[in-house]
Amino acid sequence: MSKKIDERIPRNSGEGAYFKNYYGIQSPWNKLYSYQEALHYASRFESVLSAATVQALRIMVPDYAKRAQLMCEEAYARLYATGKYYGDDDGFGIHPFFCGQFAGALIGDKGDDALLMCGRCQDFGTYRAEKELDVCDWDICGSELCRTTTMSLQGQANASAERRRKGPTMDYLMVEAKGCGDRHCRIIAESREKYPAPPHALWESFGPAVTDEYKKVTEEEDCVSESMMFREECNYHFVNGTNNETDSSNQMINMSTAASLYILPAIAETVKRGYVTREQADHILKCVLEAAGKAMFGERYTIKACRDWMGVPDSIGEDGRVMGGLMEMLLQSLVCKYEVEAFNKEEVILVVDRAGLEITATKDVPEAHLWMWQGMVKTLVNVQWSVWEEDSPAGKMRVKIAKKIDKFM
Amino acid sequence: MYKNIFKYDEMKRGEHMAVRTCVGWYFWTHQLLEITGPDVTAFLEYIYPNKVGNLAVGRDRYTTMLDEQGEIIDDVVIMRMAEDKYWVSTLFASKTDDWWYYHQGDFDVDWTEVTDDWAMYAVQGPKSKEVIENLVKDSVTDLKFFAHMDTEINGIACKLNRGGFTGEKLGYEIYVSKEDGEALEAVLAPAVEKVGGREVTEFQVMAWTLPTEAGFYYMRDLAHTNPFEVGLADGIDWEKDFLGKTALLKVKEEGPAREMVGFEVPEADVYIRAKQYGGPGEPVFAEGEEEEVGRVSKLVYSYVEEVNNGYILAKKDVLHVGDRIKIHGYDATITKPKWI
Repeated sequence: MSKKIDERIPRNSGEGAYFKNYYGIQSPWNKLYSYQEALHYASRFESVLSAATVQALRIMVPDYAKRAQLMCEEAYARLYATGKYYGDDDGFGIHPFFCGQFAGALIGDKGDDALLMCGRCQDFGTYRAEKELDVCDWDICGSELCRTTTMSLQGQANASAERRRKGPTMDYLMVEAKGCGDRHCRIIAESREKYPAPPHALWESFGPAVTDEYKKVTEEEDCVSESMMFREECNYHFVNGTNNETDSSNQMINMSTAASLYILPAIAETVKRGYVTREQADHILKCVLEAAGKAMFGERYTIKACRDWMGVPDSIGEDGRVMGGLMEMLLQSLVCKYEVEAFNKEEVILVVDRAGLEITATKDVPEAHLWMWQGMVKTLVNVQWSVWEEDSPAGKMRVKIAKKIDKFM
Repeated sequence: MYKNIFKYDEMKRGEHMAVRTCVGWYFWTHQLLEITGPDVTAFLEYIYPNKVGNLAVGRDRYTTMLDEQGEIIDDVVIMRMAEDKYWVSTLFASKTDDWWYYHQGDFDVDWTEVTDDWAMYAVQGPKSKEVIENLVKDSVTDLKFFAHMDTEINGIACKLNRGGFTGEKLGYEIYVSKEDGEALEAVLAPAVEKVGGREVTEFQVMAWTLPTEAGFYYMRDLAHTNPFEVGLADGIDWEKDFLGKTALLKVKEEGPAREMVGFEVPEADVYIRAKQYGGPGEPVFAEGEEEEVGRVSKLVYSYVEEVNNGYILAKKDVLHVGDRIKIHGYDATITKPKWI
């Protein structure tokens, strides 16, 4: 096979589109997408991948309560531990006179906006805080994840509180969750000193809230679909009540995903606790992710839509360039560097910066993508084609897309 | 029905009214930058629009900080600690630090953040002077507003500053070393309780309901406004050169495009979004008009007037005191932005 790179625009698309004033992404066929669209694309794709990883975890730990408890414990411990060393409360607008755990709500509020989970803070006080979300791309990942994110927030709030004067303790609850089918996600944090309630297990974080009568429910017509950083009425800035203000310039680089931040670490914890072996976990993950990838283009119209989205010319038929182009779109959206070693009708080779794909420094993320891509290529192109890793240099994942016959596939 | 988070909350009411009718104390540590050097006064004169050089040692001054567009990017209290040493009290020290660094140029100044060295306690309300007189070693009778002195409380060295963020005529701020914080609380809390006061613990009371009633702004209210729009232009020293002056002079000549007005909503249990929680705030429309004329900056509750009260940042001269409007379907009345 040749290492030929067909004519494509831009030749260096792996470095991003390099617009003068803002980032964008560019397909090998010169289809341009804005930073905002790229962020949305990456967010939802990663959510689909995350949803598949949750299914894998459900196979590994079938009991809901046991699984949710494991996920919550793992996330709480890890986010509490990292939260203890943030030391940058000023980065969230947490003022020195804030006492207790309520200030942790500012961490969640800012994180929501960065993850395109737009909505609004409805209450923010020492004894009660309420946040309502209209959109959550992670809403397909299952209710266990809703419980887990709540406990990770609890961990960060508790860690933050230890850096400041003692104050009321707060119980963070997700009393409504899009992952459960609710219209909104709604986190209510309540001080148990002021609003007593029986204690609950870590995973039982759905409430009910004692202060339910205070909640403010936004009607459909007033809901939003974009984060503050993408809304004109907000001057394209996220701003919280303590005047912490950020634009969107770092969100793409800093994106975290449900799989990277919660689910793959929970699977690692499953292995650590001996529920499954590492080999079993990887086998289940591979099976589920490949199936999820195949399902993405099982209907013919989705192939057409995908080709149109990337501007694939009719002269390019069923070959690996279509899959390679789609992978490039995702890698650019994640600001993950890669080089195009080959791009022709016989093969595509992308040399991906492994660290760039290890989102939130989670080591298993590149493999999860590889397994998903292997499934996707079977329906986006056809079953003759495969995606695999081959001859990777140190620190890189050399991904090859080519025809392959495997009697044990 | 959206149950009012302020009106029915007896804890918030009790803490708020303790300050208005008696005395309240609370942990109120802000971020502190200590700045010194031969050019320190000239530097601060350049950074801040209000006059700094005529500030006597031992006195304080409130001022905004502007960007090149004349927009407020911080509001601070500058305390002159010595001839060539100032404290600047802010809630955005990291931003201020960057801003100063960026504009230092040839000014011969040095600064350091000393936030972690100090704990600050507010004692506010009509009986605050009585409490302070009972606690401090030296008399505070002659301590003027926005003046500070070194003294002791129960053997604890402290800086006592007369001032506050509540609108009370009598109010003090006690600075002690961080290590002495708990010891100070041990004597301050009973001294306040002895005269019938209490601790204020709720952020919403110390930062929102008390200041708003007095017509004070939290920095979120001021973001992306200029001093003329929010009534903070009176102390500006137009004789000197300062950051943002060129842009602000243009506003002065042409007049501000917007103004901060007050408003009240008589119905108790309402849902009106306000910038105090982040976000853009509820849009406001004049009676019978479809064009947006402003946004709700703040909506809290006046425990003195027993009404929902707040601010709207509105187009200039569109909303007038007494105007009746609807905000998100609720009847509202335009007022002055001050309730006590």
